[in-house]
Amino acid sequence: MAIYNGRLPQIDIAEATRYAGLRQATDFPKQLVADACLEVQLVAAPKGVYEVYEYEAETGLIKSNPPLQLEGTSIRQHLAKATKVYVLAVTIGEGVELRSAELFKEGNYTLGLLVDAAATTAVEQVADQVNEIIKKEAAKVGYTTTWRFSPGYGNWALEVQKDLAAITGTDSIDLAVTDTFLLFPRKSVTAIIGCMPNGETMTTKRGCTSCTQVNCASRKL
Amino acid sequence: MYIFDGAMGTMLQQSGLVEGECPELFNVDHPEIVTGIHAAYLKNGSDIVTTNTFGACGLKLADYGLEHRVKEINTAAVRAAKAAIEAVKPEAKVAGSMGPTGQFIEPLGQISFDEVYATYYEQALALIEAGVDFIIIETIIDVQEMRAALLAARDARETLHKSKAEVTIICQFSFSEDGRTITGTPPEAAAIMVEATGADVVGINCSLGPEQLIPLVGRLASVTNLPISAQPNAGMPMLVGKETVFPLSPAEMGAYVPDLLDAGATFVGACCGSTPAHIAEIAKAAHNHSPKERTEVVPFTAFTSRTSFVKVGHTEKPIIIGERINPTGRKVLAKEIKEGSFAMVKRDALAQVAAGADVLDVNMGVPDVDVVATMKRAIMELTMLVDVPLSIDTLDPDAMEAGLKAYPGRPLINSVNAEPEQLERVLPLAKRYGAAVLCLPLGKGDLPATAEERVALAKEIVLAAYAVGLRSEDLLLDPLVLTLASGQDSAVQTLRTLAMYKETFGFPTVMGLSNVSFGLPQRPYLNSQFLTMALSHGLTAPILNPLNGTVKKAFIAGRTLLGFDPAAAEFIADYGHDEEVVPTGAVTAKQTEAVSFTSKDPLENIQHAVEQGEKELVIELVEKALAAGIDPLKITKQALSEAMNVVGDKFGSGKVFLPQVMLAAEAMQGAFQTIKRVLPESDGITRDTVIVATVKGDIHDLGKNIVAALLENNGYRVVDLGKDVDPAEIVAAVKREKATVVGICSLMTTTMPMIDVTIQAIRDAGLPSKVIVGGAVLTQEYADKAGADSYAKDGISAVNIVKRLLGDD
Repeated sequence: MAIYNGRLPQIDIAEATRYAGLRQATDFPKQLVADACLEVQLVAAPKGVYEVYEYEAETGLIKSNPPLQLEGTSIRQHLAKATKVYVLAVTIGEGVELRSAELFKEGNYTLGLLVDAAATTAVEQVADQVNEIIKKEAAKVGYTTTWRFSPGYGNWALEVQKDLAAITGTDSIDLAVTDTFLLFPRKSVTAIIGCMPNGETMTTKRGCTSCTQVNCASRKL
Repeated sequence: MYIFDGAMGTMLQQSGLVEGECPELFNVDHPEIVTGIHAAYLKNGSDIVTTNTFGACGLKLADYGLEHRVKEINTAAVRAAKAAIEAVKPEAKVAGSMGPTGQFIEPLGQISFDEVYATYYEQALALIEAGVDFIIIETIIDVQEMRAALLAARDARETLHKSKAEVTIICQFSFSEDGRTITGTPPEAAAIMVEATGADVVGINCSLGPEQLIPLVGRLASVTNLPISAQPNAGMPMLVGKETVFPLSPAEMGAYVPDLLDAGATFVGACCGSTPAHIAEIAKAAHNHSPKERTEVVPFTAFTSRTSFVKVGHTEKPIIIGERINPTGRKVLAKEIKEGSFAMVKRDALAQVAAGADVLDVNMGVPDVDVVATMKRAIMELTMLVDVPLSIDTLDPDAMEAGLKAYPGRPLINSVNAEPEQLERVLPLAKRYGAAVLCLPLGKGDLPATAEERVALAKEIVLAAYAVGLRSEDLLLDPLVLTLASGQDSAVQTLRTLAMYKETFGFPTVMGLSNVSFGLPQRPYLNSQFLTMALSHGLTAPILNPLNGTVKKAFIAGRTLLGFDPAAAEFIADYGHDEEVVPTGAVTAKQTEAVSFTSKDPLENIQHAVEQGEKELVIELVEKALAAGIDPLKITKQALSEAMNVVGDKFGSGKVFLPQVMLAAEAMQGAFQTIKRVLPESDGITRDTVIVATVKGDIHDLGKNIVAALLENNGYRVVDLGKDVDPAEIVAAVKREKATVVGICSLMTTTMPMIDVTIQAIRDAGLPSKVIVGGAVLTQEYADKAGADSYAKDGISAVNIVKRLLGDD
């Protein structure tokens, strides 16, 4: 298990604008989104953890202790060519949620809403950083890597969260899973990255194009 | 020029090392195999062989439960290398390898700097005791790990009374294709930092092939005169089946060697994927090439952070050191720091960087706090947040050391004065941690009033600095700024000191501006005038508040006038459109254009202002309308409600988006508050009570918060029970608050069943309240099946449904 907490020297304002559902609202004051990103930088406490395991694609078995059997065609297909998997988890802590709720209470609804979007951007950025470390670590021995796949993508059920968190060691970054399989703090991500031999590459792309929610306000055009 | 060897791990695998086995244990169990590999490299041209100790620090050996055998394993490794040298090439040298611990140092990771230092110290001690000629710290991707290892190697060398010539320390980083280490450090920052911290050779190994290493070697050579080592992989690897295959043949690898040498490398070898055959070709190519002479780097002063470096000096563009992170005279900041909050510190840091600060000064001088712990935490928080280098500002040597240890680079020490105990404590810290240090001409006696006295004191400090081994490029000078009130020529003496410093020493100069104007009016103006004078007298790095427009403008102007801004491009970019500054938050001409607030009907103006989310304007317009005797109920019904209807329709048809709806809601809230303030007795429209909650098991409350805000601004009394709310609690609240409507939500499929349970509980309690449900995964069908009175797909619909259910409007 390795800890990499990630840094947030800036939060991507364009991404936060997209997560806020404002991609078409060209006249919306940019400063407000920038203010929300700043609020998140002030209260976010980024943390990340990852671990690597052997993987058997034919059976969908992660050889962790205890082993984890992956269910669902989406994740199995995603890892079809993988022989190893990295499991990772990141969080930016509960502070951002509390700040958003506080802003709503103060009547700063818009900023409260935008803080939530900026926090989503921030947690993705931290996940990107851990993803990058994993990608480079895997590349050192010649693996190519899949993009990161999270519970809830495709038909990979959220019910896997508890087992996934356990083999990732999320307790070391104070990330818990509720009995209803939600991550707490809420602004957190768990995911799997597959390591593929023989220079294999992915044909699918991470992000909106592979998501079924075609009417999502944050969908990239 | 020296030829290093090639890979060890793959050679061991070919000799029987199996996966999961500790490669370093071969030194003890099969020393003849290790000696054989070294011998093969020596026969093929290596001048230096690297011990099989890459993972032989205690932290790494712990992976195999061998952490108690550090000395044995490292000693055996050196012995195995020496045996090969004796047999094959007696003039060859041994380099003791220290690889990464595999863990990130806090705050980037979890392990402490001291633990990592300790593990490397133990290993370096064993290697040096066993007789290595070099310590090679290699494949490092985190500057903090390099700093810990370098300090450990230096300390071990000192412990064993060895000289630099006897044990030379090589610091090799691994860079990725983007030209940075994985943790973001560029080669220049890495080289400046390790040179200042006492490395003897700086270099690059692993991760990349020789082609990618050539420009990176050039970048190292652009900032340091230290010898450079380069040990690339045999190209970029690919895993074929279970085997990692490197593409470059020995001849192909050799072909890159002339370019590596021309770029500045004098130690060449190879890393992953290489074999004795590769080394043979590398050696051949190296011996057949007469490299270009390296351009000597004129020593310069620079600070580094994890991700960047900043040069400072008389031939460089003056830089800004941001002064704001200093609780002196800032009560709120002092209080926050004392309470352990760093929110304002972070805010000040980000704001100053955005305003152009090149370096941030960090002062944690709050009475009654643990200054050591506070400085450590401030440095950690800030290095995770900003990319600019820091200046550690404290008089407490322990706090200084804590800050220096936590700092991932070469910071500025602010400052050291001429008092003997300060010189004794602070200068060695600067030397040890590779920091630059600001010399302040203050001694035991009276304040030095004249430039001559200040220069004399500065000389004392400079000599003491040289005596502990600091270099000229490690030193900066403060001319001392006193308030004008202390004497009419005090500012003149500061300016004279700057000029004399430049002539006498030539070191960069740093000073805080604001003291000069203490007790006087128009301080920013006075400070800015003083600043431009000081720049022209040789000030290279003022400590100032870049958020102050007057001072910042004077700085940019001064820099331009002194010829550091070609074609005044920077000045034009910053101030070209600056005649009338629009205060933040004010309605700009453009915005006003887009909105029609000029109707003769005041209600129409209010309505439009709400639609545009112009809260300030709405407040003003409502005040005017009330003053004109317009009935508040009329304002509410005809302007405010109408505006929300329009916004709601536009939202429904995808013409405006949720944040814009919330801006309108805030404007509406402003209107309501204004009515209440101006006419406290006015009833307005206080409608029924609505309870909102996120169901048990769900922790998503953003959507619920939005619904609550919108309902409130439509006149409803909203009781928000929060998230993860038990059905029984909802039932109790409905009874207690006499709520006529309950809104419950769930965002996830896993929590959706609690919608059914909660509705059942409300029904079982025999409550007449209407129940509305919502949330990302819910549908009309689900709501119907669960027995809800209605389903709302978004916040606007929720308000409309409540109105419909209660017969309002």
